[in-house]
Amino acid sequence: MIVGTKLSKSFGKRKVLDEVSIHCAAGEICGLLGANGAGKTTLFKILFGLITPDSGSFSISSNGVKPIGGIIEKPALYEYLNAYDNIKVFGSIQGVPITKSYVEMLLHKVGLPTDRKDPVAHFSLGMKQRLGIAIALLNNPSCLVLDEPFSGLDPLGVSALRNLIVELAEKENLAIILSSHIIEELSRICHTLVVIKDGKIVNAGPSQQIIANNTDTYAICANNLLASDSIKKYNPVFKGQCVQVTIAADKVSELIQDLHAENIFVTSCTPEINMEKLFETNAL
Amino acid sequence: MKALIRAEIFKLFRQGKTYYALGALFMIEAVVMISAYFEGNNIIEILLDNLRKSFYFEGTLVNGSLLVYLLLNTLWFHLPLILMIVVSGTLTSEYKDRTLQTVMLQPVVKWKYILSKYIVAILFTLVVVFFLALSSFALSYGIFGKGDLIVYLNTLNFFESSEAIYRLRWSFASGALSMVFFSVSSLTIAVIFKEATKTWIIVAFFLVLSNILLKIDFGSNWYNHFFYAKMNDTWQYFFYNTIPWNLVLHNSLLLSIYTLVTMGLGLYIFHKKDIG
Repeated sequence: MIVGTKLSKSFGKRKVLDEVSIHCAAGEICGLLGANGAGKTTLFKILFGLITPDSGSFSISSNGVKPIGGIIEKPALYEYLNAYDNIKVFGSIQGVPITKSYVEMLLHKVGLPTDRKDPVAHFSLGMKQRLGIAIALLNNPSCLVLDEPFSGLDPLGVSALRNLIVELAEKENLAIILSSHIIEELSRICHTLVVIKDGKIVNAGPSQQIIANNTDTYAICANNLLASDSIKKYNPVFKGQCVQVTIAADKVSELIQDLHAENIFVTSCTPEINMEKLFETNAL
Repeated sequence: MKALIRAEIFKLFRQGKTYYALGALFMIEAVVMISAYFEGNNIIEILLDNLRKSFYFEGTLVNGSLLVYLLLNTLWFHLPLILMIVVSGTLTSEYKDRTLQTVMLQPVVKWKYILSKYIVAILFTLVVVFFLALSSFALSYGIFGKGDLIVYLNTLNFFESSEAIYRLRWSFASGALSMVFFSVSSLTIAVIFKEATKTWIIVAFFLVLSNILLKIDFGSNWYNHFFYAKMNDTWQYFFYNTIPWNLVLHNSLLLSIYTLVTMGLGLYIFHKKDIG
């Protein structure tokens, strides 16, 4: 488990973190949502001990030599070395006995090919992210922190990385904190969400509860939506095969049943989170 | 600590720029040799113009000893500059590529990490000077043959062939100490400035300034005997008629202290500074 309590940090006169508290239990994925410059990376740097907070404290429950591993911003690797040598360098400096089979096991765990011998400069960003995670997993940390892990990845890369993160939390029982400025990326896999704005936490709680509390409209896609009567009472705004409706979260399943009764079969129903509400309300 | 040093050596010799730097050094060596081959006799003629009226010179003075001495003079600027660029680059490139941040995300003690860089910088410098000396002796004596050495230091000093080799060897050893000081200084400059271009500018400025300060005589006893810049031409003392061993020892000891203090300063700043 990782716990940060009332962490504050200023750079010059600018306060970038203001009494931020965060916690993430083992096996849990916690999402840190915030716009660019909200203070996410600064918070992570404090958790990693790269910068010292002006006030507040944090602790990580771990018996190992490496309580926390992760990536800050983009994965930073020795571009002139291949994947094997990167793991060898980062492993050896922290006393991990590096064998060929151990490196192959790590590469396999993060879904990287074991036969690539070329420098990582030739790797795609997704592959570098995976190698960065492999390096973060050296010495078996109990907590993994990933800063904007989906940034710059193609949809396939995002999907693969998402599966890897879920697997690491479930199988390895890691406490994982992710950051992003895109809520859809976090809401899919995170158990809890923490919303940060201008260095302050403005919203926090279970992901689904946060989404439900801050969602006024849903995008429903189905064929023949124009023929539906039940949808008319929810201020529909039609957009091609989809419709945007203003509806409470607890009424959504009722609407889908009504549509089904009208022989309209829903192909997707996506909450459209009210970002202004999410970022402006509930200053904690 | 051993693992950190091994990793630093591994990284240093896996980077192309290290080989470019070594290539540049040996290119300079080749250029000095070629120019000496074509211009050496003219230089000697100018030096000995007056003396030839009173003395008879036997054999050729453009020989291996003179060539080694000419190559030794790259210690003034060329060698320290290239060494400083390579050594400071071992840290600035880590700042630029943010690999330093990745290293610091691992359970690695900050001061031990930077100390390993200092140790590797010193080892690298000593190895480069050793190979420069080795190649200088091998090529110079191999191509131009042995002979007496003539050196102008306020006055013309002549050394017989065996004595010349002895003094040239000691001179390289003493020069290595000076090169270590500049390498260590460049790493400390990199710790302070982080960014490669800024560091290179400061490093070049520091080297030029040190050479200027070395030449200036303020008439101060303290300045001449204790100021760091004055310690950096100790290797030239081996070409005085009588080697001033006391002075050599004093300067070497003081330069070692300056090197350790510069390294200590770098360790302290690096340990105190936030990464990222």
